[in-house]
Amino acid sequence: MKKLRAALEDFGQMLFFAAETVAWAFRPPFRPDQILAQMAFIGAGSAFIVGVTGTFAGMVFGLQMNYAMKQFAAEGYVGGSTAFALSRELAPVFTALMVTGRAGSAIATELGTMRVTEQIDAMESMAVSPIQYLVVPRVIAAVLMFPVLTMLFNTLGYGGAYLMGVYVAGIPVGPFVGHTREFLQMSDILHGLMKAIVFGALVAIITTWRGYSATGGARGVGEGTTRAVVASSIAILLADYAATVLSVGS
Amino acid sequence: MIEVVDLWKSFGAHDVLKGINIAIPQGETFVVLGGSGSGKTVLMKHVIGLLKPDRGAIKVDGVEISSLTGRALTEARQRFGMVFQGAALFDSMTVFDNVAFPLRERRGKRLAAADVRQRVIEKLKVVDLGEEVLGRWPSELSGGMRKRVALARALVSDPQIVLYDEPTTGLDPITTEYVDEMIVHARERLGITSMVISHDIASAFRVADRVGVLYDGHLAAVGTPAEVRASPDPFVQRFLSTWFSKQ
Repeated sequence: MKKLRAALEDFGQMLFFAAETVAWAFRPPFRPDQILAQMAFIGAGSAFIVGVTGTFAGMVFGLQMNYAMKQFAAEGYVGGSTAFALSRELAPVFTALMVTGRAGSAIATELGTMRVTEQIDAMESMAVSPIQYLVVPRVIAAVLMFPVLTMLFNTLGYGGAYLMGVYVAGIPVGPFVGHTREFLQMSDILHGLMKAIVFGALVAIITTWRGYSATGGARGVGEGTTRAVVASSIAILLADYAATVLSVGS
Repeated sequence: MIEVVDLWKSFGAHDVLKGINIAIPQGETFVVLGGSGSGKTVLMKHVIGLLKPDRGAIKVDGVEISSLTGRALTEARQRFGMVFQGAALFDSMTVFDNVAFPLRERRGKRLAAADVRQRVIEKLKVVDLGEEVLGRWPSELSGGMRKRVALARALVSDPQIVLYDEPTTGLDPITTEYVDEMIVHARERLGITSMVISHDIASAFRVADRVGVLYDGHLAAVGTPAEVRASPDPFVQRFLSTWFSKQ
């Protein structure tokens, strides 16, 4: 009971923290340098791992789809079904999980270390809002870069599926690409990108909050980082389920 | 003038401050002495509005800091400089960026980059650090140098009030004496009002105009160093004897 109460209290505090972040985002001074630095860290810094994950996910999915479609002599549909799955589900969810592991954990650790070494207090004592200086740029950068990384995942994932489908499984290029054009709508890609924006906001708020509210020393920072990654991953999966139910029905 | 009026604070079931009253006139250096965990840092964080009291008030020149929020609190803090126990330098910034931070982030008219650089170099010189440290990272500095950079950062925007949280903890005797001189210098030359939190009795008696001894959430004694030394309070006598008996 005590734990549940503490968890609810913590959740409430995080909601206030998120509201404060939104309020600070619209107040000057705006910090384009900080936002660009965070975009480079979250976006460019995660491109490699997202690219590798996307390529392999596409390759594996292409092979699996080929195996399944072969049963119905429908190998030509491998490209279309892979592109459909990538753009609506695989790309936004996998990208968010990978970026949480790489950048989200780093954000929680950095802010947690700043908290326990009084750097956040120092900033506040110098009349600078740590939420505006540290949190807002990270949230904006995540909201902007998650869709970009998701598109990278989509592109390389489809490339991987093409490689396996066309060059390994021997599916003719015509049906592979033709059925993709037939299956995949712009709304599918936009659906995935909308999810990416939501995931970006969730991951940024959760990881910054866990760092910002860290207590104790190195152990506290470590615990905060673990909780940040676990909570972000669960939030991504829950939000994905909710978004899917809302878009296609239960 | 800083006024702490009937300040109470507890964390969970633990009462840390139980009705603290202090008045620090402008230009005075007031040292709060006390053992580890006595609530000294908690008291200081209330003065700059980093913590909110459960009861009581903090007033700076009549303005109640403890009731301010948002922009008003931010503006009130611009009058303060603070030196943290562990220096609290931003480890993602060089020494130059650390010291320049309050100037760059100050509200109102922005200083030109050349002026910022000049002010930074000037303040580093005050704490006896040369231009060669400008590009160094905090992790490349010794404990004493970090404290001095923190002091330069606290003084760079010419604050009216400076708060020092354990400024000499972990320093060698020579650097300790140097930091003490800096605190005295800040008061004598710049007319700064200072509040120093310390458990270093020698250092406290060197820099203080007045001393308060914090024990069990109360101020067990307040007065000039001589008055506090003559205090009949048993804790104060026991606390001070740990140093004076060695002299």
